[in-house]
Formats: sequence, C-alpha cells, structure tokens
Amino acid sequence: MVNADAQLFTIEGLSAALIMIMTVFIVVNTTSVYTPGDAHISDMQLEILGTDALRMMDVPESYGTRSLLRTIIEENKFETFNGTFLNYTNNRTLLGPDHIKYNASYTCRNTADDSISTIVLGGSQTLTGTEHPVRVTKWVRVKTNICGPIAQDRAVLMEVLLWRD
Amino acid sequence: MARLNDDAQWIILMGFIVSFSIFFLALVLNQSTVVGQTTAEGVIEFPKNDIRDLSDAITSNITGPNEAVVLEDFRRIALNRKNAVVNYSITPADDYTIVKVHYNNGVTIYEENWTSLYY
Repeated sequence: MVNADAQLFTIEGLSAALIMIMTVFIVVNTTSVYTPGDAHISDMQLEILGTDALRMMDVPESYGTRSLLRTIIEENKFETFNGTFLNYTNNRTLLGPDHIKYNASYTCRNTADDSISTIVLGGSQTLTGTEHPVRVTKWVRVKTNICGPIAQDRAVLMEVLLWRD
Repeated sequence: MARLNDDAQWIILMGFIVSFSIFFLALVLNQSTVVGQTTAEGVIEFPKNDIRDLSDAITSNITGPNEAVVLEDFRRIALNRKNAVVNYSITPADDYTIVKVHYNNGVTIYEENWTSLYY
C-alpha cells in the first residue's frame, strides 16, 4: 500500500516553485527596462541644454540689432558659432569643461523650385556612428540672399546634433 | 482523508501568504519602472520647444515686406525637417495685429491666437 501522508507537501513544493519562477521572470524583466529609462533622462537634459544655448544665441543684444545666430548664418561665421556654442554648453561651475560635442547645419528653401537645401556649418568633432546624439533645432529669421537670388526676409532652421563624448 | 494528519496546515497557509506577497511586490516594482519610462517618453515626445520656438520666430517679425516668402519657408522646412504641418496667418486690425499659428506633427495639434499691440 502506497503511503499518501505527504501529498500536501508535494502540492506546496510545486506551487512554491511556480511562484518563485514567475517572480524571477518578472524581476529579470524589470532590470532590463532600467537602461532605456535612464537614457531618456540624460537625453532630455542634453536637449534642454542645447535648446537653451541656441535660444541665448538668437536673442539680440538690443532692440533693432541682429542676433548672434542671425549674424553667423548671414555671414557664415563658423568660428564664432563654434566658440560661443561650446562656451555655453561646456562651462561648468568649479569643474573643468564638460565634453559635449556637436555638429551644426541649417536648412533653407530654394525660392526657384521650393526644394530644401541643408548647408553644413561645421562641428567640433566628426560623427562616427557610435555616438548617441540628440537633435535640437532653432528657427532663425534672417535677411540675406540665402537659397535665392534676392536678399530678403527669410526663415531658416538651424539644426544641431549634440552628444556627450 | 480522516486518516491524514492535518496538524501543520498553517505552515502551508503561511507559505502561500509569503509567496504571494513577494510576487505582488515584484509586480509593483515591475510596473513602477514601466510607468517611469512612459512618462519620460511622453515628456520627450511633446514638442514643447518646437512650438515655443516656432511661435517666437513667427511673431518676432510680422511686418516684413515679403511675408509670403517667409510663410512658404516655414511651411516647407517644417514639413521636410520636423515632420510637422505648420501654417499661420497674419491679419492686421485697427491698431494691432492678429497672428493665428497652426501646428500639427501627427501626435500633437496646437493652435495659437497671438495678438500684438505694438504695430
């Protein structure tokens, strides 16, 4: 005659094993979600930093004068952009400079056929493909003969790719 | 069943209670990180900077002689580079100007009614 005394122990063992496996599965799932969540937070901070820098550069010093960003696009002054932008983004209080790199370009519309041209302004380092850049943009109002024969009021879109090296 | 010993049923009961509480704690932990991720995605996806920037750029100069060219610049470039449908109209009234800005990037639709008292 088979002894049936310990049936409850078997049931308990089985259910405990099931619960443990499910718990481990959920916990392992949980840790894999952390990485994209953290990346979003630093991306958000970088985006705010870049947007602020471009916004500061597009504020004229006094009423009626041209903003720095407008001057840079109208006169293609990459060195000015490079110095000011890196100064705004990389300065830190009581620490050495940060390691933020960028690539900048701007886009205008050709008046002849309504096509779009992107003009590369330059960058502090070439993109190799392994970086994880965020894109910040700024609309700039200029008055020049950009993408057209006549010097007139135009709107161009400044685009900057930012990443921390 | 009468011959079975049922003295230690409370051990099984406690085992179940502890197991289920650990299970539910893990469930809560799991859900909390997902909530954080969707929140961050929601914040990133909302084009706050785009809308502010666009509105500022449009309203920064509304008295130019070639507003049609500038409007076409905004429309074409926004569609091409920002995947957004942008349109606006500038309507001069007696001593002010009304600017209506429309923005739609497929997820967020924004309409602004901007009034100037300076022109």
